[in-house]
Amino acid sequence: MSFLVLDHINKSFGVTQVVKDFDMSVEKGEFISFLGPSGCGKTTVLRMIAGFEMPSGGRISINGKDQNNLKTSQRNIGMVFQAYALFPNMNVFDNVAFGLKVAGKPKAEIEARVKEMLALIRLDHLSDRYPYQLSGGQQQRVALARALAPKPQVLLLDEPLSALDAKIRVSLREEIRQIQRQLGITTVFVTHDQEEALSISDRIVVMNAGRADQIGTPSEIYNRPATRFVASFVGTLNMIEATVADPAADTVKIGGELVGLRQSLAGRKSGDKLSLALRPEAGSIAANAKGDTALAGEVVSSHFLGSVIRTKIDIGGNQVSFDMFNSPDAIIPAPGEKVTLRFAAGDLLVVED
Amino acid sequence: MKAQKILAWTAIAIGALYFLVPLIGTFEFSMRMRRDAYSFDAYHSVFSDMQFRATFGFSMLMALFTIVFGMLLVVPTAYWVRLRLPQARPVVEFITLLPLVIPAIVIVFGYLRLYNSSSWLPFTGSVAGTNMLLVLSYITLSLPYMYRAVDTAMRAIDVRTLTEAAESLGAKWPTILFRCIFPNVMSGVLSGAFITFAIVMGEFTMAALLNRPAFGPYLQLVGANKAYEPSALAIIAFAITWLSMGLLQLVSRFSKLAPART
Repeated sequence: MSFLVLDHINKSFGVTQVVKDFDMSVEKGEFISFLGPSGCGKTTVLRMIAGFEMPSGGRISINGKDQNNLKTSQRNIGMVFQAYALFPNMNVFDNVAFGLKVAGKPKAEIEARVKEMLALIRLDHLSDRYPYQLSGGQQQRVALARALAPKPQVLLLDEPLSALDAKIRVSLREEIRQIQRQLGITTVFVTHDQEEALSISDRIVVMNAGRADQIGTPSEIYNRPATRFVASFVGTLNMIEATVADPAADTVKIGGELVGLRQSLAGRKSGDKLSLALRPEAGSIAANAKGDTALAGEVVSSHFLGSVIRTKIDIGGNQVSFDMFNSPDAIIPAPGEKVTLRFAAGDLLVVED
Repeated sequence: MKAQKILAWTAIAIGALYFLVPLIGTFEFSMRMRRDAYSFDAYHSVFSDMQFRATFGFSMLMALFTIVFGMLLVVPTAYWVRLRLPQARPVVEFITLLPLVIPAIVIVFGYLRLYNSSSWLPFTGSVAGTNMLLVLSYITLSLPYMYRAVDTAMRAIDVRTLTEAAESLGAKWPTILFRCIFPNVMSGVLSGAFITFAIVMGEFTMAALLNRPAFGPYLQLVGANKAYEPSALAIIAFAITWLSMGLLQLVSRFSKLAPART
């Protein structure tokens, strides 16, 4: 049985249902990210695991034990908040020691554990500082140490990097992942930043309007988006509208041109509308470009972005962006130029609406 | 620009004169007890008066009880309203403002009607009961200031997240309130305490109508019967208020010295 189980979880605030039939199982030591836009219900699910909100329906269990009737203080979870939430009246040592003191641990044990935690986050030299004397990144590391000190069953991270600047965000997320691996603690991480989720998770739950649209590894989520929402939210996928030409031959028509797909179109009828996704990095307009599929189009715009050149092409009424790496002899296509976009048929993905 | 500056300074000077001249006059008069020479005789007379000591001590004690019990009422209320009943905030704010609108004499007559010796809760039936009623009425009077001071301090910290952080670490309500919240609203608690102290030390109506030997009625008694001592007492009362205000400023300045670094 999985370590953390969310079984048909529902949550309503008044008449508004914010989480709908949410199902998920997390293995021990796994790092799961909830990814989605604001208001999709990801934080509500996290808060239900923590016990701050009670589910309107469904069951939450940790290590086989039903959590629904337990208060937050009885669940043995560690939580890190976006706003750090360090106790301003306590120094770093006392903040980290708080959970251990509440649990009534002996003084010597508290001291040893706090020192261990501060060494883990490399802030042992700042143990007597107060939160206001620390930078945002340092405060969040202390918050992480405080959450981990009482050895929780599950670590919950509620957008812990959102309040930090870009550089610290990257280094701290790597640090969080390293500590999580080191301790082997089951972790649920909430974020709206797809790069963050893709870079540190074992699995990602992409949430949309209270539901889990797709649960999968970062590679699955990025390369094989199950729905149009996942495709548009993760990465910068191009959406191409097509019409089924011959379901038996798995061919579709894009702006009058016949294109063969690798995915089966079984169950669809000729003339059915469907959405296809194509990654910006999958296509090329270079003369020597590889790819078994070619589509004629017209350049709409080109933008030089430093390391890449982003070009937008109109293909049968669909505007498709693709990126090519910059090089000193790269020719930037001019708007209105007729080009041929080449890509592998396998890069065209059928996505559900 | 220069003309504006002159105008500003003139306004300040007029304001200062308006406040300081009567004060200086009172102080000067309080020093004239001895003929042909300035002296602190009036102050000596006040401080050596047993009644002064007794009433001052009594009011100090009442102020202390008012602060302790007032805070025990206000801090958990403000905390609970902020955390669980934000929709009740306008109602609570309205209730805490009522003592500013309803005259003290109306409040105390209401108390006497409700809690007289032949009522269902005869507070005025004994000295201890009357003192308790006096403390309760002082709490009512200081409620607008106490509640606002504490509520403002709570606004400065993220009460909800701190509470949730403490809960996730296994803490229960008393621990959360007394170890995580109370110390962080201490500046508000102290501000409320000093202003309450100043109010209680000068309060007349409640103490007089409940017939308690407080400092307010003593001030009135001396004012009606002596010449120089009332001026000395007025200066002492001002000094107490200013000391409270000064401490209030000091506390709020210390709390401002600790901004969070980002």
